[in-house]
Formats: sequence, C-alpha cells, structure tokens
Amino acid sequence: MKRWQALFITAGVSLVFLVFFIYPAVSVLSEAFRGSDGSFTMAYVVEVFRNPVYVEGLINALLLGVVSTLATLMLALPLALMSHRYDFMGRKLLSALILVPLVLPPFVGAIGLTHVLSVTGSLNALLIDLGLMDPDRRIDWLANGKFWGIVVMNALHLYPILYMNIVAALANMDPAMEQAAENLGASPTRRLFRITLPLAMPGIFAGSSIVFIWAFTELGVPLVFNYTRVAPVQVFQGIRDLGQNPSPYALVAVVLLISATVFAVTKFFFGRNTSGAQPRPKGRDSEIRLTGVKSLGAAMVFAAVFLIASIPHAGVVILALADDWYDSIVPYVWTLDHFKEALGDPLVVPSIENSLIYSSIATIAATVLGLAIAWVVVRGNIRGRGVLDALVMLSREGKPFHFLVTLAGGSPILLLIASYAIRRLPYVVRAAVAGLQQSNPAMEEAARSLGAGPLRTLRKISLPLIGANVAAGSILAFAFSMLEVSDSLVLAQQAKDYPITKAIYTLLSTLGNGHELAAALGVWAMVFLGVAIIGATRLGGKKGGLFKM
Amino acid sequence: MDAIRAEDIVKKFGSVTALDGVSLEVAAGELFFLLGSSGCGKTTLLRSIAGLETPTSGKIHFGDREVTRLPPHKREAAMVFQSYALWPHMTVAKNVAFGLEERKVPKQEIESRVREALQLVHLGAMAERGVDQLSGGQQQRVALARALVVRPKCLLLDEPLSNLDAKLRLEMRREIRRIVKEGGLTAIYVTHDQEEALEMADRMAVLNGGRIEQLGAPTEVYRSPRTSFVAGFIGETNLIRATVSEVRDGYAMTECSAGLIVGRIADPEWTPSPGDTVMVSVRPEAWQIDNGAGSVITGKIRARSYLGRSIRYEVETVVGVQQVVELNPEVLREPGDAEVKLTARHSDVVVMKD
Repeated sequence: MKRWQALFITAGVSLVFLVFFIYPAVSVLSEAFRGSDGSFTMAYVVEVFRNPVYVEGLINALLLGVVSTLATLMLALPLALMSHRYDFMGRKLLSALILVPLVLPPFVGAIGLTHVLSVTGSLNALLIDLGLMDPDRRIDWLANGKFWGIVVMNALHLYPILYMNIVAALANMDPAMEQAAENLGASPTRRLFRITLPLAMPGIFAGSSIVFIWAFTELGVPLVFNYTRVAPVQVFQGIRDLGQNPSPYALVAVVLLISATVFAVTKFFFGRNTSGAQPRPKGRDSEIRLTGVKSLGAAMVFAAVFLIASIPHAGVVILALADDWYDSIVPYVWTLDHFKEALGDPLVVPSIENSLIYSSIATIAATVLGLAIAWVVVRGNIRGRGVLDALVMLSREGKPFHFLVTLAGGSPILLLIASYAIRRLPYVVRAAVAGLQQSNPAMEEAARSLGAGPLRTLRKISLPLIGANVAAGSILAFAFSMLEVSDSLVLAQQAKDYPITKAIYTLLSTLGNGHELAAALGVWAMVFLGVAIIGATRLGGKKGGLFKM
Repeated sequence: MDAIRAEDIVKKFGSVTALDGVSLEVAAGELFFLLGSSGCGKTTLLRSIAGLETPTSGKIHFGDREVTRLPPHKREAAMVFQSYALWPHMTVAKNVAFGLEERKVPKQEIESRVREALQLVHLGAMAERGVDQLSGGQQQRVALARALVVRPKCLLLDEPLSNLDAKLRLEMRREIRRIVKEGGLTAIYVTHDQEEALEMADRMAVLNGGRIEQLGAPTEVYRSPRTSFVAGFIGETNLIRATVSEVRDGYAMTECSAGLIVGRIADPEWTPSPGDTVMVSVRPEAWQIDNGAGSVITGKIRARSYLGRSIRYEVETVVGVQQVVELNPEVLREPGDAEVKLTARHSDVVVMKD
C-alpha cells in the first residue's frame, strides 16, 4: 500500500467521524458550558450537583454500574476459570451457549423479566406451588425502585463480555507459567491466587470497565422497568424541554466524564501487555479432563447459567404467546393472536420498514469504512494507524459518547443512521482485520508483480480472500443496528420515523395488551437476530471470536 | 540427590501413543540427555517425570520414593521450561524467591539464597529488574536460577537453549554443565540438537516413535550406533545394505555390489550369521579418497562443496552416492569422470541390523 493511499483513507475516515460523531458530541458538550448570553459558564454543571434529583440519578447510575459489575464478575469469573482449567462433557457446545445472552436484546428481555419477577409473576407462583411461600405474604422482587431487577438483567446480559475477556487473558498466558508454579511447589489454590489471577487481572479489569460503563449508561433496561431516578433516563426525559432547561446537557457531560475516567484509568493501569517480552513457543496445555460425576457437575454449572440467563427471553416468548398470564408459572391459555395483532398495529409495519432502511444504509457505510480502516491497520505502515485505532476504540468503547451525539438535534434520522453505522463499525473492522491477518500479504504482492493495479488486486485477490469474514461482520452490524435501543429511542421523535425498538417501547406504554404486543414484536426481533447470527457464524466466525468486545 | 528410575512408561493421548514402554535409570549426579526429533516423545517423558502428565501405565521413582501419581508441586523436581515461563508480574528476585516462599523458608534465608542463586548465574545486579527488561539469555538464566534455588531432587530442562542465538547457545552449554556439575545435581535435559547432547551429556537416550533406540555415553552412541536411525540422527552417515560372509572377533566381513566391506559389530548382544542382510554405516569423515588402508570401493567425484575447514565431496558409486568429508584437506580434488578409491578403516565402519 502506498503512503498517500493510507493517508487518504485515514483522512477520509477521520472526516466522517468528525462530521457525524465528534462535531455533534463537541457541540452538545459546549451547550453544557454555554450560558444564555453565549458566554462560558459552569452554572449548569454546578446545578447538576446541587439538584438533589440529578444527584440521586447519578448516584443510582453509579450504584447500578458497580453492583451490576460485581454481579457480572460473580457469574463470569468461576465460569472462565472452570473452562480454562477443566475439560468436561459438552464443553465446546456449552461454552458457546453461555455467550448467547450477550446478543439477545436486553431491552426486550427486560419485558419478560418484569413479568417473571412481579408480585403475581412466575417466580412467586413457583415458590407458592412448592410450598416455600405463603400466598398472602408475597415478596415484591421489584420493590425498591426496581433496582435489583435492572441489576439482574444487566448481569444476565453482560456476563459474556467479562467471561470472554477473562478466557482470552487466560488463553494468552503461556501454560508453562502455571506449570512452573506447580513445579516449584505451589498447590492449586496458591497457584490460582499467586499466578493465574494476577496474570488475568488485565483481562478482568478490561472486561469490568466495559461492563461498568455499559450498565452506568444503560437507558433501555431502566426504561422498561420504569426506573426513572437514574441519570440516563433523566437525560432521556429531559430532551423534550431542552430549550427551557439545558441541564440534561450538563448531566451528559458529567456522565461522560465519569465514563471516560473509568476507561482511562483502566487502560492506564491494565492496558499494558503483560504476557511477556516477545512471543515464544508456548508450553503444552495441562487442562484436567474431568470424568464421571465431576464432569457432569461442571457441565451442569454451565447449563444452569445458560438456562438462568435465558429466563428473561423465555419470559418474552411466553408473554407473547399467553392469552392471560397472571399469578401462574406459565399461562393456562395460549394464543397466537398477539402476533397477528402486533402486525396490524399502525406503528409496527412502518417501523420494520424504517429499521430495514436505516440499518441497510448504516451497514453499507460501516462495511466501506470498516474495510478501509482494516486495510490501513493491517497493511499500511504509517502513523495513521494510531489515529484509526483510536477512532475504532472510540466507537467501540464510546457508548456514552453516543448519548452526546443523539442529543445534537439537526437532522435526527441522518444522525441516527450515522450513529448506527459508527457504533457497529467495530464488528466489520474486527472481522476484516482478522481476515487480512490470516491471508498472506505475499498473495497480494504476487498479483501486483504480475501487473494488477491496486484496485484490481483488491477486487480479484483480497476481497475474495476475506469476503466471508467481511460478510459475517456486516451481517452482525446489520442485526445489531436493527435492535439498537438508546439512540433509536432518543433520536426518532416522530411516529412515522420510528424504528422497531422505539415501536416496542411505545407499545409497552399503551394500555390493555401493550406488553403482550411488545413481546410479540420482540419475539420477531429475536428470531431475526438468531437467524442473522447463525448466518454470520457460519460465514466467518469461529469460536465466537466475532463477538469479542 | 536422587537417582531417577522410569519403568515401562506408556503414555497415550487418545489413539496416539506418545511413549511406548520406555524404561531408563538416571544415576544420582548424572547429566542425562533425552534426544530425538519432534514428536518422538522426549518432552512427554520429561513432563511425566515432572508430574505435568500422568503416564497411562508404568512407574516413576525418585530414589526409593514412587512418585508416579504424585502431583507436580510435591515432587521436588524443578523444571526449566522451553519458554522460560517467567512471571511478568514479578521482578527477577520475586520470580526466584517463589519456590522458597512456597516452602516456607524463613525470610532472611530466602534473601540470601536468592542472592546466591542470581550470582551463580551471573545476574547479581539484575535482582530488582522486571523480567521483560532482560535479554533472552538473561531470562534463560533467571529461569535456571529459579529452578536451582529450591535445591531440587532433580533438575529437568526442556530445550532450554532453543530460543537463544547460536553464539549464546554455545556459551550457555558450558555454563549449564558447570552449574549442574558444581551442584552435584541429577539433571535430565531434553533437546533435538545432537551437538548439544554430544558436548554436554554424561549419558543420553535417543528416542524414536515413543521408544528408546539406544542409550549410552556420547562416544558410544556416536561411535557405535546400533540402528540406522541412531547412526543417521547422531551425526551423519552413509548407509550401505550388504550380506554377511564371515564373522570373527566382533568384526563382520560383508559383501555388497561394490565389493567387500569389513566393519565392527556395534551391538554386543547381537551376532549376525553368514548370509544375513545387514546395514553398514560409514561416517563421511571415515571415507578417505585415494589414501589409507581398509575396505575399498570405487566411484567418481560428482560434486564438491568448500566449507572452509573441511571439504565435502559427493562420490557416485554402484551402492549410491557417498558423502565424503575431508578435514584439513591437503589438496582440492576436481569433480570429473576420473575413478577414485574410497577407503575406510575396519574400526571406523559399523555393521548393524538391517
């Protein structure tokens, strides 16, 4: 690749980010510091910390972040250590299954979870059936402002992120590191605490910071639980009268500052590569093959986590199929009416069309941008690589940044599409980078030496070589755009522009069978997502690598 | 120091047999080599002795103690890993102190022993460095110090020099042998580098396909290979298939289409009878061109490579192309159609089973 080509691509990508991402973000941020007369002011930020409602919202968001992260860690760490050290029956299948919850939309799952955990929900009905609960003294699992419902949903949705980070950290470690400790007299427990965990710390913290920022800025799940005393929801509700009250801008600035600090601190302390100076041949693995009861036990732990993590989504399916689901473990009467009725709703069909259009455009944009970025990152040898890496990281880790973008106003639908594209960009980049790294540059050089120009080489050699990878990344980008929540809720303000998720959210708040209709639409969405992901996996993703954060 | 005894070790990975009934005994204080190409089972045998693999069957003893089922952390067999396996989250001194801390050695003693161990490997000044700041050779020596400091019953080394450059490798060979011998350690050393084994070993075992092909001192294995695999793996050789015509005093006269060749019978437990087909091994440096006395065959020089201190010729004969190496050569011979005589002393030729 020639230097000017790499520079050209870098400049182009930077421009796109500048126009659709950085400029809106900066303009929103500046709103937080601009007084009514246009001069700089800290008044709004000060107001955020003085207003007890905002302070409570921030504290609740922080608590949600911390508690969700701890809950996630409790699920993910034992699973990761088990799959690192032991081989047991069905491990391959089970360790793939437990990743599934990550791709199920939590916003939809939350609808199911509210029905499972409510006073007259499945859990209480089950406990009463088993004689463990007095029907007259039921526990309201969703009391205390639904806090624990959100934590449970976050943990069940986000634990795969942490699991994959820890497993990757453990897998990168030379197995001889642990064997050397054993060889020098450390018992398995001592080895775990002195060698394995310290070496996995970067992975644990990297994963934890992603989970924290995710839970801290989560909008969809608290909305479904109707938990309004948390910062992201307060921002969402403040959008309508931003004209009179600009403090939501300031609130966003504070949320952003906290997220960026957490991210930067983690990167600073744990971002270094601690796996050793240079790559060397690794020693042999010494995982223990479990047999008999132990093997079954380990498999059961994995299966149990998967089953528990699918409860919210099972709840959605049941709700969509239930004629009347009240105070019983599962409904007594089943029906398909909700599916028909949902499709008849004036909101639904246009919203599906909208989502298809938005997501298609966003996917094409993400694919072109992603390919260009991957090309420079893998093949170009210039400083621009650093810029592109940073931009991709921004779009990957920058969930809170999207909040800013979405508040920028202007042409909301164009921004929404841009936001879809930029946020799903990492899927394409990762897939294309993986493809390019696997294919030998000599294959391209051979084509060049035989007289093919750069474009012909791209079309005839490179693209066919990495086509499957890129297609897989694009399918994922498309699927996740279809089910994007927070930007969709914020940016689509007019009913005719609603994407699917906003339609689901609107249905939720309609009286009568709104929840059942929303669930029915949610089931459609999950089926669509499932098909897309299976397709993507078959095309190019091995070992769930496509979904690594 | 303990002797190490392995009895009839079999190790299967699924349907693959990595070790197929290996028995050996390493004497206390001996530097013993396991030598073979990749996949021969040498590393599996070493890891079984360390306890990182459990043999499918067979027994391993350290002295009088059977350790076959003992977990690695109770074996007192310190290992130096091919990748060194230094822990990046600890300093050099912390890495070395680890084994002593696990053994609950008093703090002051740990300090002094770590210092001694680092001095032994000439890294006294590096104690507080991070392991990532060291060069490959320095890391290698830290790994060695970490294993030595616990005063193990035996020292196990898994291709410890394979990641070093050639010059450093030569230096470390002598260094490791010095440390092992000064400490009176029992050590087992795995390598695929036959020069390393010849230079360093007290005794060595050549493995092939999960079995020991030959076990003995380096001179014995090199001078008297018992199988054509060993002859070809340790050093280089010319193999000629021949028929025995006469056997006397540990020597056999054999006949091939190029003529008569007389050679030593390498395996004292084997005596061929006239009429048997055998393999005759002649090292390239054992052939002499138009010079000396012994068995003679004729051929034509087809190619020549000049290697500085030696010259290599390819000589075409009726029993195949013979590799011939002349050390410190007096004259340069030109390839061509002129006939030359290849001569080998009887004691330099080895007769082995086909």
